[in-house]
Formats: sequence, C-alpha cells, structure tokens
Amino acid sequence: MALTPITTITTLDTPHAPSARLPAVRWGTAGTALLALALAPLVLDGYYLHALIIAMIFLPPAHGLNLILGYTGMLSLAQGVFFGIGAYASALLSTHFGTPFVLNLVAASLIAALIALPLGIPALRLRTTSFVMCTLGFVVIAQMVAKNWVDLTRGDMGLSGVARPKIGFGDTTLAITQIPQYFYLILVVAVLATLAFIALIRSPAGRCMVAIRDNETLAESLGIPTWTYKLIVFMLSAAFAGLGGSLYAHYETVVSPLVFQMYYSNTILIIVLGGGVGRVPGAIIGSFLFVAVTEALRVTPELRMILYGFVLLLLVFVFPQGVAPLIERATEKLSRLGVKQEKSL
Amino acid sequence: MSEPILSVRGLRKNYGGVPALQGVDFDVARGEVCGLIGPNGSGKSTLFDCCTGLQKSDAGSVLLKGIDITGWPMNRIAREGRLLRSFQKTVVFPTMNSEQNLVLAGQMASFPGVASTFSIGPKSRARIKALRERAQELIEVSGLSRVAHLPAGNMSGGQQKLLQFATMLMPEPELVLLDEPLAGINPILIEKVIQCIESANRNHGITFLVIEHNTDVLMNLSHRVIVLHQGQKLADDTPEAIVRNPQVVEAYLGG
Repeated sequence: MALTPITTITTLDTPHAPSARLPAVRWGTAGTALLALALAPLVLDGYYLHALIIAMIFLPPAHGLNLILGYTGMLSLAQGVFFGIGAYASALLSTHFGTPFVLNLVAASLIAALIALPLGIPALRLRTTSFVMCTLGFVVIAQMVAKNWVDLTRGDMGLSGVARPKIGFGDTTLAITQIPQYFYLILVVAVLATLAFIALIRSPAGRCMVAIRDNETLAESLGIPTWTYKLIVFMLSAAFAGLGGSLYAHYETVVSPLVFQMYYSNTILIIVLGGGVGRVPGAIIGSFLFVAVTEALRVTPELRMILYGFVLLLLVFVFPQGVAPLIERATEKLSRLGVKQEKSL
Repeated sequence: MSEPILSVRGLRKNYGGVPALQGVDFDVARGEVCGLIGPNGSGKSTLFDCCTGLQKSDAGSVLLKGIDITGWPMNRIAREGRLLRSFQKTVVFPTMNSEQNLVLAGQMASFPGVASTFSIGPKSRARIKALRERAQELIEVSGLSRVAHLPAGNMSGGQQKLLQFATMLMPEPELVLLDEPLAGINPILIEKVIQCIESANRNHGITFLVIEHNTDVLMNLSHRVIVLHQGQKLADDTPEAIVRNPQVVEAYLGG
C-alpha cells in the first residue's frame, strides 16, 4: 500500500563521498550571491529594483511550497490562498488598528498557519491527486470569500491605504518610502525566511519530511507520526506564504481579491519546479529566474505569453529537475578542485 | 512461561468478502525466535499487517506485553510498543544514504516528542550525534562501509536488504517481525542475515517472528514454528515436530 509520491526526486549520483569542503564552498557561493544582491541598488535603477523586490516577495511562499512539495512530497496549490490571507491580514490590521509593520508581518504568518489548521485536517486525509484537487478547491473558496464578505474585505474594491513600513531603531524611526529602502527591508526578511527554511530542513524533523516523501508507510512503521508531521508542514508552508503576502500588502499598499487568483499559486509552483524542487537553492534560483524571464519578455508585449509558455516547455525538457542541480554540480566541482590536483601529483 | 510478548486472540480479516484470517490465536514468548510458515495466501503477511497496525482487523485482539494495542495507529505501535517490522519487498528511503536511513530509524526512540525534532539546538545535535555513532557501528557490522555514502536507492538489492535489517535494530526494539528476510539474496548473504538475527536475539534479547519460505534455514533458526493454512492456525510446535506433522507436510512442506 506504499504511496506513489507525486514528485520523483533523483539524487545526484556522485562517485565519491562528498568533499569535506563542500559546505564551505556552498556557503561561500551563497554569500557571494547575497553580496551581489546587496550591492544591486548602487548600480540598478528603480525599475529593476522593483523586479528584484517582486522576486524576493515570492521567495518565502516558494520556500513554503518547496517544504511541502519538495521535502514532504505533497503538491499544494493553496500557497496562493495563504499568500492572499497574509496580504489581507496585514492590510486589515494596518488599516483598522494601525499596527506596526513588524507585528503585521508576524501576525500574517500566524493567521495563515492558524487558518491552515482546520483546512489541513480534512485535506491531509486525502492522498496524492485528491489532495491536489482539495487544495485547488481552497483557491476557489478563498476567491469567493474575498469578493463576497464585503463587511470585512470591501469586496472587489479591496483594501487600500495600507501603511508603508516604519522601522524603529531606539528613538529614531525610519519610514520606508523609497524603492531602495524597500529593497533592503525585503532583502532582510527574505534572508531570514531562507535561514528559517534551512534550519527546518536540517532539523531532525526535516529528515522525517524526506522520509514521508520517500515512503510514507515505511516512515510510519519506524514510529514516525506521519500525519502530525504533514499537518505541521502544511501549517508551516502557509506561514511562509503568509509572510510573502504581508510583504506584498505593505509594498503595494493595496490588496484586492485579485491576490487569490490562480496566478499566484501557479507562479509559486513554477518558481519551485523551475528552480529545483527538493533542493535548498531551488526556490531562490527559481524566484530570480522567473522574474528575469518575465522582465526579459516585456520587449515583445504581443508575443509575451506565447514565449513564456515556450520558455516553460524548454525548462521542463532541458532541465526536468530545475536549474538548481547545475549550481549544485558546479559547487561540487569547485570543492574538489584542490583535491584533484593533489591526487594527480 | 512468563507473560508472552505478543498475544493474538481470534484475529479475523476479510478483503472484500474473501477471508484472509479466520480467527487466529497464538502467543510469542519473550526472547524466542518464532517461525511463521504457510502456503502463499495463507494470511501470513496480513497477520503482520494487523499486528503492526498497517491494516485494521475485523475482529479479535492483539496484545503486546499485556497491553491491548488493537486499533492503535502503526506509528504508535512502533514507538511505544517497540515493535518493528520489515516488508516483503525490501524498502529503504531511496534518496538517503545508509547513515541517514539509520539515524532516521532511531530518531523517534531518542527524541521525546514531535516538537523536539524541530530543534537544531545543542541537545538535539547531541542526540543526532549519538545516533550517527550507532549508525556507523551498524554500517560496519553489516559490511556496508564501502557503499555507505550512496543514496540507498542506488545500492544493490542485497545491500538494501542488509541496510533494512540494520534499520530494524537501530531503535533497540523488543519485538521484530521479519517478512521473508532471505528472499532474493545469495547463499553467502543468507548466512550473514542469519548470523545477524541470531546475534540480535542472543546478545540483545530481541524477540523475532519470522515469515520465510526457505524452510530448511527457518527450521534451524527457530525455537518454535507456527503454520498458517487458509487463514487458520494449522500447527504450533517445535521445528522437529512440525516437519513430521502429516497435516503440515500435506498442506505446505510436501512429501
């Protein structure tokens, strides 16, 4: 009765045990990329910074999806729902109570996770494709609620006037109003979310997730309460999505039922699959790649969507496991450079 | 005899009207190696499934160390009852290497609860370090050192079998149910698996219930043998008596 996993993740077949220097090379690569990103506002103008900000807003929800799809083996199309819930939660808190940005950010994650709890309990009884259909249902329900619960959401008019973030340092308060300021603020949140993601998958619980993905019955037979883990992962993935939604609300300052469009769930899915599902750099590479592709296609507005489709097809055929394995192979080679030379002497 | 480690009482299970188990009763004493034989379709694997919580039985009860575990979820039986099982088709976690497979197997026994597994603090790391050391010992004993860095899915069938057996020992269980541990492996490896079972039984006091079609080996290994036939217990005796039992010879062993 073994569960057929929805994703088949093949590991890189390395002929040797990994080099001891591999972790250092990996962190070095990540650090260099982060430094380049941090220097971006010095060379790029507002338009390109805006594009990078969008990439970083999508990053936490993509980490969330990677956690549930890549590490636990369940495809959830509801990431967009929790993204929207995070956006609405922040917008409502900000417009009604004037609560500060950092509080809204945390509250949005918590609210998304709490709403995921009653949704997850019935949904996680389902397996494989039934679970996917169920999460698709959540998207439709969320759209209807956002449009029709006018007292709370103001329906199609949406919520406007979400306060721009203010960050307090002791006595001084920094109001975030310009694009480069937003860039650094969102960069910090994205980096923290990434570190949280890495801590999660490196924890013993992360190993349990992979066990559930690889063979749920075997995991269960070794004493792992798989259902509890799946519920927690579902809530955590919602929390990551809610974080992204909160960033979105405070950046755009307007939230409407459009945030519950299938577009957001699709985008998050494309980011994770294109970047590399079940791999740490997957969502990171995916989110920047996705934004790079959509921006590059702006030069031909008429053909944009057609070309976009072709790029997706190309990606699936040329890199069926996403782009991340290329980077992983490169760092692997880099970590062996010195070692090989020693051997050849 | 002291209290049996496992008692099965009147166990029944139907698959869509087809009876797989029709009221099976037996005991397994603590510290013994008990063989379970019978023709294909006699209900052996179903019996394992019902004892470990993978399948819900229709009637009857399963007592583990005197506690009624009927209806418990599989993970609770494994964790609290310290009862582990192997599967007929060898299964390991294919994307993890040997050490990761073994550490995972020992994990639930050494962490106090689900919440504590989300920690990456010093306590959690110390627990994992201890598990890794134990895993390395088991890898060495099993002779898997040369392939230990490979994802388990890329190891040979025999190597996976050895890894699966090591996995069973990792959480220090009290009772292990083995479903055809010798199927599809070469004679040298058979010898190795038997040694592992005997040593685990003698040195660690682990009780075994073993399904195996290689009857010659099983008769040597077991202290007692239970024979299932068409979902019912046909005989329950010492190996010497079983091979002479005319009913068993007719139903299973052949002339």
